[in-house]
Amino acid sequence: MSTVPISAYLTLALVLFCIGLYGALTKRNTVIVLISIELMLNAGNINLVAFSKFGMMPSIDGQVFALFAIAVAAAEVAVGLAILIAIYRNRKTVNVDEFDALKH
Amino acid sequence: MSGEFLIFMLLALIAIVGGVMMLNLTKVVHMVVALVFTFISVAGVYVMLSAEFIAVVQILIYSGAITIMMLFGIMLTRHNDNSEPKAGRIRKILIFLSILGFGLVFYLGIYNVEFTQEATTLHENNTEQIGLAIYSKYVIPFELTSVILLVALIGAIILAKRDDLEEADKE
Amino acid sequence: MMEFAWIIPLFPLLSFLLLIVYGKKWGSAAPYIGMLLTFASFIVSLLVLVARFENPTYKAEATWLTIGDATLTAGFEVNQLNALMLVIVSLVSFLVHMYSKGYMQGDERISVFYSYLGLFTFAMLGLVLSPNLLQTYIFWELVGVGSFLLIGFYFYKEEAKAAAKKAFIMTRIGDVALFIGMILLFWQVGSFEYDEIFASVSAGTISSEMITLTAILIFIGAVGKSGQFPLHSWLPDAMEGPTPVSALIHAATMVAAGVYLVATMFPVFAASEAALMTVAIVGAFTAIFAASIGLVQKDIKRVLAYSTVSQLGFMMLALGSAGYVAGVFHLTTHAFFKALLFLAAGSVIHAVHTQDIEKMGGLWKKLRLTGPLFLIGTLAISGVPLLSGFFSKDEILVATWVHGHTILFLLAIIAAFMTAFYMFRLFFLVFGGEARGDTNHVKESPNVMTVPMWVLAFLAIFAGYINTPWFGSFLGDWLTDGNAALGHGHIEGPIWIMGLATAVSLLGIALAWLIYSRKSLSRDWLSSRAPYAYQLVNKKYYIDEFYHFTVVKAASILSRVARLFEVIIVEGLIKLITAFITGLSKLGSRMQDGQVQTYGTVAFLGLAVLVIVLALTGGYL
Repeated sequence: MSTVPISAYLTLALVLFCIGLYGALTKRNTVIVLISIELMLNAGNINLVAFSKFGMMPSIDGQVFALFAIAVAAAEVAVGLAILIAIYRNRKTVNVDEFDALKH
Repeated sequence: MSGEFLIFMLLALIAIVGGVMMLNLTKVVHMVVALVFTFISVAGVYVMLSAEFIAVVQILIYSGAITIMMLFGIMLTRHNDNSEPKAGRIRKILIFLSILGFGLVFYLGIYNVEFTQEATTLHENNTEQIGLAIYSKYVIPFELTSVILLVALIGAIILAKRDDLEEADKE
Repeated sequence: MMEFAWIIPLFPLLSFLLLIVYGKKWGSAAPYIGMLLTFASFIVSLLVLVARFENPTYKAEATWLTIGDATLTAGFEVNQLNALMLVIVSLVSFLVHMYSKGYMQGDERISVFYSYLGLFTFAMLGLVLSPNLLQTYIFWELVGVGSFLLIGFYFYKEEAKAAAKKAFIMTRIGDVALFIGMILLFWQVGSFEYDEIFASVSAGTISSEMITLTAILIFIGAVGKSGQFPLHSWLPDAMEGPTPVSALIHAATMVAAGVYLVATMFPVFAASEAALMTVAIVGAFTAIFAASIGLVQKDIKRVLAYSTVSQLGFMMLALGSAGYVAGVFHLTTHAFFKALLFLAAGSVIHAVHTQDIEKMGGLWKKLRLTGPLFLIGTLAISGVPLLSGFFSKDEILVATWVHGHTILFLLAIIAAFMTAFYMFRLFFLVFGGEARGDTNHVKESPNVMTVPMWVLAFLAIFAGYINTPWFGSFLGDWLTDGNAALGHGHIEGPIWIMGLATAVSLLGIALAWLIYSRKSLSRDWLSSRAPYAYQLVNKKYYIDEFYHFTVVKAASILSRVARLFEVIIVEGLIKLITAFITGLSKLGSRMQDGQVQTYGTVAFLGLAVLVIVLALTGGYL
């Protein structure tokens, strides 16, 4: 029997998620924004894995979900960085507040 | 105060400190390195949750691949690190406050969550269990994941590739 | 014939509509259109008058509106007074149309002028035909509009613009009182119909205080329109309009509308001694007041204007002394001889191109036709025996005396003396003596201008014989026939009044002759003796200045305050709202800066608010 309650894991995940969200919304550097998003995904993964052990119906499924999430996250990072490189080539900057093409 | 709890506290502390440092450091490379601590301690948390395979994957993908990729991204672009963000102080405070409220509400929802059941057999042949699940129950999502990875691979190459025509135009 | 009386006002209306639409295109044909159509309405009016001699009053009405229990009707009525007024108005209007053909020759806006004349004639005829107060009021205001347009016809002249505004606003003061009186009557009687109003007045269903109040309010409306003191000062200024307009509107017809209104509402006035007294006093005071101003004016048209005000005062005095017949009779004769005087004055102005009588003189030999015509008008208005003015003025004096107003009678006698004096002063200064200005190029007016004057001169001489003490009071008997409330057809008075009136007018003429023609008395004989009185009269008793420093200043202060309120509070509120909206939209457009982080922030902010609100209100805490 584990002595660490599930709420402790969930709280850790919540704190990490909040940190990642703050970084994603305030940081100027696109690389840091991307990595903050990875942190948020990680927090989600902690939840999945925690529920696979302590959930209503604990099973291995949660871990499998976490694996899929990691795979998708990896793909996302690859594409995100590729986009960053492409934008950098055109705009010579990586500051997210100078990307305002959405306005037009 | 069991040893298990102590270890959890330690890992959690490292993870959170890593995140906070990521927010407060000024150099981009330092930020990425600070986050590596977080990722590794999260892997530790996975081990505590009887998910050894996920823990290994976490270290391989996050601490290894993704971090390295980020570092490459940083290397390939120029960073004037000293420039302070232009985003207004008011906006930062606003975001901070709303995140605080958001987190508080969720904390109120989860702080005394207690499920009676607990899986006890997850750590036995963990990798085998995952493998069985993937190749039987989740075989279709698994195959779809491979397609996603392929698309991401091709997409990343096409996006990052230098456009020869454009180059010719520039010269 | 009387059932077709409604067609009379439609001819001038047609003239107005045709000329306002096609006037530019037709150009010089415009006067003929106007003349033709007004002549048609004159002929119909004449036929209606003849028909009215033999038949009783004709009245046709249709329901216009039904509001609750009250029914408003629209229609027309031909009674004695209406039929008489129809002929006067349409005749003078036709003659003025004809005269204007010569007077306005060469004015490029002549078609506009004729269309305005048509509008005015339509309104005046409609006013005369109205069988109820509401319809009267509508046409009453339309007449005001016509007057406004015609006074301001030379709108490029500052004085004309100011005069038009002044006329409109000052008559509006009276109109407000008229409106209140009208509404009060409707409240009391439940109808605007003259007949029903008179019926309930004679039945005694209205309290005598209410009758007095409404009668005085209606009289204030008449005061505004007829230029009685204290709302008289617009009428002399209205002389800025073209002279034929002055003859038509500000001498013969519109200003007589006030007298007509009092005459129409006479049964209401007759029911209240106080109201009659008010009318009589205002009339007598105006008569002598305006006559005294007329003594010193130097502008030919202004002298005539003050003379008009004074004569209208005589009519009011007659009505106020229960002399219904005398008032209407004088209205009729005055319409003819005053129109004649104005047209003759127009002819003089047309010839010498000035209105200053000091620059005229010696025109008798130059204007072979206008001179005698002007003399006929002058004799008539002065009350020289055997001309029309003599009989009607005599009627008024008799009515005043018989009614027992000794003081008012004396005032009227003095006013009659002044009238004779200033009219002959005018005549001698313009036509007698030596030329004081450049009169070499003076030419007699064309026939189209003199013919209307001959017609009016004929009427100015002979119109009096329809109601004389000698040959029977035909007009009076006819006017009061079948309506006891209007009083007797003829009021018997002592014979010495006629002698006194004659003596007074001859005295006035003689004095004017001595001063201005024989020059045996110095011109400044009187003014040097009483310089302050002269100054007072010359400045028109400072009435305009008084109004300027009281009413105008007060109104301007009030409007300044209102403007401040408008600018600060109302516009401030509006600006606040617009600034709020602008700020909101500026914020919105600043939000849309194309940056992902801003969008994410806004989206997350919304989510956080929703979650917090849900947690607070959903009972999850």
